[in-house]
Amino acid sequence: MNSEYEKLKIVSRYELLKQFRRKRFYGAVIITILAQVLAIVLYKGLNVPASLPTPLPDTSKLFALFITSVGSSLPILFSVFFAGDSIASEFESKTGYLLFPNPVKKRTIVIGKYVACFIATTVVLVIAYVVSVAALLGFYRQLPVETWGALGLSVVLASSVLSLAFLFSSVLKGGMGATIGTLLTYLLIFPIVSGSLSTSGHKPWFMLNFAGSSITSIYRIPLAEGLFGGRAGGLTPADPTVSLFVMLAYFAFPFLLSIWITQRREMI
Amino acid sequence: MLTMRESINIENLSKYYNSFLALENLSLKVKMNEDVALVGPNGAGKSTALKILCGLIYPSSGTAYINGINVVEERERALANVGAIVETPEFYPYLTPNETLSYLGRLRGMGGPDLSSRIKEVLHLVKLDEWAGVRIEKFSRGMKQRLALAQALLHNPPILILDEPTIGLDPRGLVEMREILKKARKDKTVLFASHMLAEVVQVCDKIALIDHGRLLVYDSIPHLRKKYHKSLEGVYLKLTEGAI
Repeated sequence: MNSEYEKLKIVSRYELLKQFRRKRFYGAVIITILAQVLAIVLYKGLNVPASLPTPLPDTSKLFALFITSVGSSLPILFSVFFAGDSIASEFESKTGYLLFPNPVKKRTIVIGKYVACFIATTVVLVIAYVVSVAALLGFYRQLPVETWGALGLSVVLASSVLSLAFLFSSVLKGGMGATIGTLLTYLLIFPIVSGSLSTSGHKPWFMLNFAGSSITSIYRIPLAEGLFGGRAGGLTPADPTVSLFVMLAYFAFPFLLSIWITQRREMI
Repeated sequence: MLTMRESINIENLSKYYNSFLALENLSLKVKMNEDVALVGPNGAGKSTALKILCGLIYPSSGTAYINGINVVEERERALANVGAIVETPEFYPYLTPNETLSYLGRLRGMGGPDLSSRIKEVLHLVKLDEWAGVRIEKFSRGMKQRLALAQALLHNPPILILDEPTIGLDPRGLVEMREILKKARKDKTVLFASHMLAEVVQVCDKIALIDHGRLLVYDSIPHLRKKYHKSLEGVYLKLTEGAI
């Protein structure tokens, strides 16, 4: 009999096959590339640096900030569509009757599914960054070192959003409900809480959306951060180091909770 | 107490779904190589018992053993001995039968040329050889049912737990499925839930009749006929009087 690690590799491999055979994966890749190209065209066409309330010089860092904010946010949102039905679909589509009576721990199944979603999301993220890097090298012949930091933070943010989606997927009956629940939480509820805290003078450093804005604040460009979500309510922008740990916490707790819930969930 | 000859041992199993009592102190022992049919009216608790045995749901009280291994406490180890079809089988539509069986076989520790040849063997057995490379999204219900049997037999388990395995099959499929089960029963323990008494007679030696989660009778089919002076259908109707 295989070890649980071997089984984890098997589950991850076949779940990844699932992701790569879905139209939504290719849709995510195409939309991300198109959005990146559009962002580049708009930046150059509208001369964004000169159009800012306080005009800034057109540097590679400002350009990188602009296009990597687009290149990060879309794949992270698409990750919800990859992960939303991961656990819920086993119950909703009744495929759990096929998978669960096998000698494999449910936690191995959940981790394997997560690994597959993470790889699929990272592939889309990396494609977006390849477009960004190509544009940076094409226009400026230089690559700001912060771009790599932003990529790293994007990967960590994606892993946190995936965890959130897994939590919803482990609790809710349907994949669609889990997807919508995650999107509403990340795009609506978290910003409302962060906005309320900021308005009352409290820095929402512990909120995932605020921590995620470290992808832009890492470039340390004043004013421009505010335009792309890096600064909330006139407060200081997200600190990348603190944000990294906040995002790791958002990765760990919902993910562990999703494993715990799935282990106890019955296939009725 | 367990003896080595018992493949399945259900002890005082009860299951509540909220306030609804689906199983009430069900006890049942199936010896090695015995073929037992679990029969009863709709909602009698057959599927609930099988789901507990397959580790899909947890009992409210009592326990169950497969080859002496507690299903509730050591789910994965107990299931290593089992091939199962539970409820209407659904498959991953983006995979082919070859890929599905490869996935499940690998999870069970199979691999390499042995797994490939076994996949061919079981797909031939259920007459899906020509569909081995076609995505399951194109499959009919009957074809999925055949594939479900193929995956249950893939690792040649000593115990088969089958929940109405002939649902959705056409007449030819029914006959073929029964033939496969008749062959399988020679060296396997089979616990088989079904509504079709004619099928039960062909596939099983004994029946366990349950109703409202309680075991009404557990005996060999010839002995039951003799005892009640009725056909199996007559026995069933007599014992489940007023069930509906």
